Amino acid sequence: MKRFLIYIVKIFLITVLIAFILDGLYTYIFLQSHNRGKIEQVFNSNAQKYDVVILGSSRANNHFVPQIFEKRGLKTFNYGMSGGHLFEASLMLKLMIERKYEIKNVILEADLNLSNDHQSEGVSAKFLPYIHNSEIIKNHFFNEKDFNELYYIPFYRYIKYDNKIGFREVCKIIRDDKTNSLDNSGYYPLQKHKNGNMKNNIVNLNPLKHNKYYEEIEKLCKIHNINFIAIMTPMCENVKGMNYFEKVQKLYPEIYNYENVVKEDKYFSSCGHMNDAGAKIFTAKIVTDFFKK
Amino acid sequence: MFFNSIAFAIFLPIVFFLYWFVFNKNKSTQNALLIIASYYFYSCWDWRFLFLLVFSTFLDYYTGIQIEKGKSEKSRKFWFWLSILVNLGFLGLFKYYNFFASSFAELLTSAGFKASPILLNVILPVGISFYTFHGLSYVIDIYYKRIKAEYNFVDYSLFVSYFPLLVAGPIERATHLLPQVKVKREFNFQTAKEGVYQIVWGLVKKVVIADTCAPYANAIFDNYTSMNSFSLILGAIYFAFQIYGDFSGYSDIALGVSKLFGLDLLRNFNYPYFSRDIAEFWRRWHISLSSWFRDYLYIPLGGSKGGLWMKIRNTFIIFVVSGFWHGANWTYIAWGFINAVYFLPLLLSNSNRNNMDAIQLKFNFDSIKVFSSILYTFLLTCIAWVFFRARTITDAILYLKRIVTNKDFSFQYLDNERYSYELLLMIGVFVLIEWNNRTKVEPLSGKMSMLKTALAILAIMAFGTFSDYKEFIYFQF
Repeated sequence: MKRFLIYIVKIFLITVLIAFILDGLYTYIFLQSHNRGKIEQVFNSNAQKYDVVILGSSRANNHFVPQIFEKRGLKTFNYGMSGGHLFEASLMLKLMIERKYEIKNVILEADLNLSNDHQSEGVSAKFLPYIHNSEIIKNHFFNEKDFNELYYIPFYRYIKYDNKIGFREVCKIIRDDKTNSLDNSGYYPLQKHKNGNMKNNIVNLNPLKHNKYYEEIEKLCKIHNINFIAIMTPMCENVKGMNYFEKVQKLYPEIYNYENVVKEDKYFSSCGHMNDAGAKIFTAKIVTDFFKK
Repeated sequence: MFFNSIAFAIFLPIVFFLYWFVFNKNKSTQNALLIIASYYFYSCWDWRFLFLLVFSTFLDYYTGIQIEKGKSEKSRKFWFWLSILVNLGFLGLFKYYNFFASSFAELLTSAGFKASPILLNVILPVGISFYTFHGLSYVIDIYYKRIKAEYNFVDYSLFVSYFPLLVAGPIERATHLLPQVKVKREFNFQTAKEGVYQIVWGLVKKVVIADTCAPYANAIFDNYTSMNSFSLILGAIYFAFQIYGDFSGYSDIALGVSKLFGLDLLRNFNYPYFSRDIAEFWRRWHISLSSWFRDYLYIPLGGSKGGLWMKIRNTFIIFVVSGFWHGANWTYIAWGFINAVYFLPLLLSNSNRNNMDAIQLKFNFDSIKVFSSILYTFLLTCIAWVFFRARTITDAILYLKRIVTNKDFSFQYLDNERYSYELLLMIGVFVLIEWNNRTKVEPLSGKMSMLKTALAILAIMAFGTFSDYKEFIYFQF
């Protein structure tokens, strides 16, 4: 039995050693990544200057067209992330500030995402390779329930989120494979879908009275003299529970309600996402309303 | 609690420690601990079905004794059939009732009658097919006086409920496992080390091969109408390796875990994809089930001793029943039927036992023949797997038809953001490793075992799929 226990200890130590080596290797590779996604791009970048930075979920990513801002001479990048929540938007802004970005305006898509203050694991996982290289990221994840495992167990984060930051992603970074998330200054145009779902039910959705990360973004902007613009973006007409936007308006009167600026189905790819034509109409309206020369 | 879960990684060392350091006084304490651990393990899925497991155990234990004690043939027959009918009744109720009810209703509807069947809203108790077959073999063996009834309820319960084999086999025989639980187990370093090798290699098969193949196979099978010929061929190959990695990986872990407790389980897989014909494939794939059906169905039906029609009938019965055992769906029946069609020519030409020797490859013409026959057998099994995996028989036929008619062999990008060809290198490496170690139980033992184990652990961590967490496929059976 003693021999077996020694053998098991050896296996355990080998496993720990492999975990340390793989962790170091993967992290090193992620630190070289620059054209895979918005998070890597910001983390591995130096100070930038922007007139407008757009944050939010896919309803920011697919709705704000930076080229229309740029026509007005406003250097803009859309950092909206499909599937992202305000947890990730807040962390993204913190990283930009840490990297000494000079930002004049932040436009935050704040509507459906006000209903929760959880992380979106599929998106937040992309920050995790850098958790040991950034106090900002470490502190942001500190209150998450699996922080200790993610932070202290070597390679655990790469195993847990292997479909986001695992072997396939590492290979793509090594091969320098590009994604399209940085094209069009971060904006991802959607096409009109023949079979797009033009119905939605948000009856059970309620905005939180105090969304921690919304308030955090607002506060960060105030501290760093960034003009903060929070906007509710359009949904198609056939939505049950449309009074959600009124509830948001009551709780957060400073958020501009642009939900009904674009209505017709022909401007939507699916009920929650406008197509390129709809996004252009919407962005033009935003630019006119907020950036008059 | 899955073998590839954190919960099991905590559970196993605790049970191991208690087994060898606290409950090691005699075989009764060892067995009592294993029973408690097994019931806890089972209750992690659904504690309510624990009652079914205990009832089934008690039924076979009691009827086994009554059969042995029975003074008249009538009394022996009564207890025998009671056990068979109750066991099969539970299996039928939980696993097959909805299938028969809806199939019957469809038949009535097609005949012009209106039928709305009463379907049961029940979930299938995990492992019911496996522990029912444990019990059945035990009772049948007592009835035919091949074994004596077990009078110690704890020992018998352990035979039925032993956690490594409880939910997905291997399907044990009383003649093999019961004698082992009747004696106190002594720790053996070499056996335990072999167990660790098997556990590690089983995990490689599960998380590196099966779970990595799964998203590719799923993306291809679920969207087969938009896939080209090359992707469809790859889909069938990926599923072949998914199910092999999944089930044989589970069996390896089960055998390995059991070795840690000093109990030897039946080998369930012996490199089936290196078979030279279908008969050999069935001697190497899910061996404990194949041999169960051979001993308790095929031979009692007359086996291959009768006339031509009897041989044909028995072959189809055993394969179709085996297919149906896997699940209540026509696709499984079709899968069994196809395997019977593959097997029959070998049986009728008396060549079903041609390839009993070890496979040898050298630089000569015979080796080309052997290699071709391995590839041909793999092709046949892949065609059959399409029926096993498809949702309906129509889907399976259309899938195969599209392979032939589409004729596009370019690389395709799947809707889960993966290229269809991505896994070929990994599968190639896996096949080479298994081929070079086909005479051993697993590839990690032997020379440089520590280095090989370390590489296997590295493969599990670096190449394994964990986030698309999947159950073992055979749990549903």
